[in-house]
Amino acid sequence: MSEKKKWYSLDLGLNRKKSDTACGCGKTEGGCGSHKPEMTDDAFLEAAVNASIGEEVRKDGFEQVFDVKMDRRSAFKKLTASLLIGAGAVSTSCSVISGDDTKEKAQIDWEEQFKGNYKLMNDEEKKATVDRLMRSYELRTGKNISMTHENAEEDVLFGYAFNISKCQGYMDCVNACIEENNQDRNSQMQYIRIHEMKDGKGFNFNEADDNYYHEVPAEGHFYMGTQCFHCDNPPCVEVCPVQATWREDDGLVVIDYDWCVGCRYCMAACPYDGRRFNWSKPEVPENEINKNQHYLGNRMRKKGVMEKCTFCVQRSRKGQNPACVEACPTGARIFGNLLDPNSTIRWVLENKKVFRLKEDLGTEPKFWYFMD
Amino acid sequence: MNRKYYIYIFTCTFLVVFFSCKHNEGEYHNLNDKIKAVSKTYHGTLSSEVLIDGIKTLEITEGEHTFLIPERKSQIKSFACIECHNVGLDKLQSKDIKKAHWEITLAHADENTMNCATCHNGADMNSLNTLTGSKVDFNKSYKLCSQCHSSQFEDWKGGAHGKKVAGWAPPRASYTCVNCHNPHDPSFKSRWPSRYNTEQVEAPQAESGH
Repeated sequence: MSEKKKWYSLDLGLNRKKSDTACGCGKTEGGCGSHKPEMTDDAFLEAAVNASIGEEVRKDGFEQVFDVKMDRRSAFKKLTASLLIGAGAVSTSCSVISGDDTKEKAQIDWEEQFKGNYKLMNDEEKKATVDRLMRSYELRTGKNISMTHENAEEDVLFGYAFNISKCQGYMDCVNACIEENNQDRNSQMQYIRIHEMKDGKGFNFNEADDNYYHEVPAEGHFYMGTQCFHCDNPPCVEVCPVQATWREDDGLVVIDYDWCVGCRYCMAACPYDGRRFNWSKPEVPENEINKNQHYLGNRMRKKGVMEKCTFCVQRSRKGQNPACVEACPTGARIFGNLLDPNSTIRWVLENKKVFRLKEDLGTEPKFWYFMD
Repeated sequence: MNRKYYIYIFTCTFLVVFFSCKHNEGEYHNLNDKIKAVSKTYHGTLSSEVLIDGIKTLEITEGEHTFLIPERKSQIKSFACIECHNVGLDKLQSKDIKKAHWEITLAHADENTMNCATCHNGADMNSLNTLTGSKVDFNKSYKLCSQCHSSQFEDWKGGAHGKKVAGWAPPRASYTCVNCHNPHDPSFKSRWPSRYNTEQVEAPQAESGH
């Protein structure tokens, strides 16, 4: 496995068996430092430098970012951050007094810091990072979570239909979404927005009430929900400078929260207000955390990254409906596989009068609205 | 010499034009075309069978749609009805005994249109009856609803009305009418939303103030 690694891994002697055959840095002799069982701080620093600007041949993982022509000054500037983390890892891991747990934590932190983009990972690497994240959670909280990394199924293209004559504005979908997707409880972030609109005025988002709190359905109003529409031609993906968001083969537009730099270009590019930003560290009470997680879905996010509806990737890839579809008491939400000619979503598209928002933009959202 | 030169230029131009016109975006004109084209070779493998494992279902065929609906009789607490209704309704009436089904009030259409006997069969309480008096099994009560609500029935058959039991993956298992609607009081009631709507920072404070 280490032969194919796209990034440098810190070997603290915990994975001795793996590192016997080849060194994580790719070199077979000299200059690396991780071949010697006893490592000095200097050797670790050198290893860190090698990892960041070393003459690695494979241009992948962090090298996409680091392997660019630049002068010495800026190179050292950019290195400072990673060196600090490296030094931190070294000081913890080489300390005589810190236990095995601390060392393992440091090792995990190192590997997580320098892992590649999820989009480029093979299944083995995906499993490794998911295992690391689960172990890390266990080390930190003493509790177990289950995180998966299912890939897109073949012959699946997810689509969604929303019946605007059925929605009554009960907001049960939003409740379910927040619980399912471990959304921050403080910032009141919601993937789904329910808009209360006046009858006879059409889709007038400027006059819609998005903050209603009164008995529903209100006289003379109708309700419609918006969320990420998982465009087939997503503009948010185009603008991402680090390719932290992309369209999966089953049509889901997903984010690698660990690769996102938080520039919010995607938020600006989305014509549907589908994306959300973590302005603060998302906090969920321990007993409310949904422990069935997916790397691209509802795993815990951090401050300063984008997130959005993933059609509950952790559920939908197992054949389940997203939490909002399951929670809706009126059956206004239809979800299914667009490629299955016998699916109910296909029947809706072929037999009801459906439309999408801002169709003229060519974004091809896979979220249709219809009426009874 | 001159001719060779022309052929060379022509070949180069042809190659450039040929390759420059190839790009993937033009493969399908729009999403609908793409869905239609790609689904021709559909052979989905994912199944939701495990998700409906513990749920008793029965398969029904209505028109060109065949799908599963949850079994109903085992979910009704006091089924079979003839355990009490062992004689005709007219013989059960009495002033002194405790009233059964006292909590049921009919709020379905108006009194001129519907009463208990529109669906229930006084002579055979174990099954329902249609408007013309033919028997309908409790498991297939949707047949009664569809007598009047024909457009909803069409939508339900196709999948535009109602909910799925577990997941989107085949086999399709859909809830039937009575899983969401109380047949004696079928409308959805007006109520408070189950939470505050988007970004309403002030509301919780205002609420706690009084």
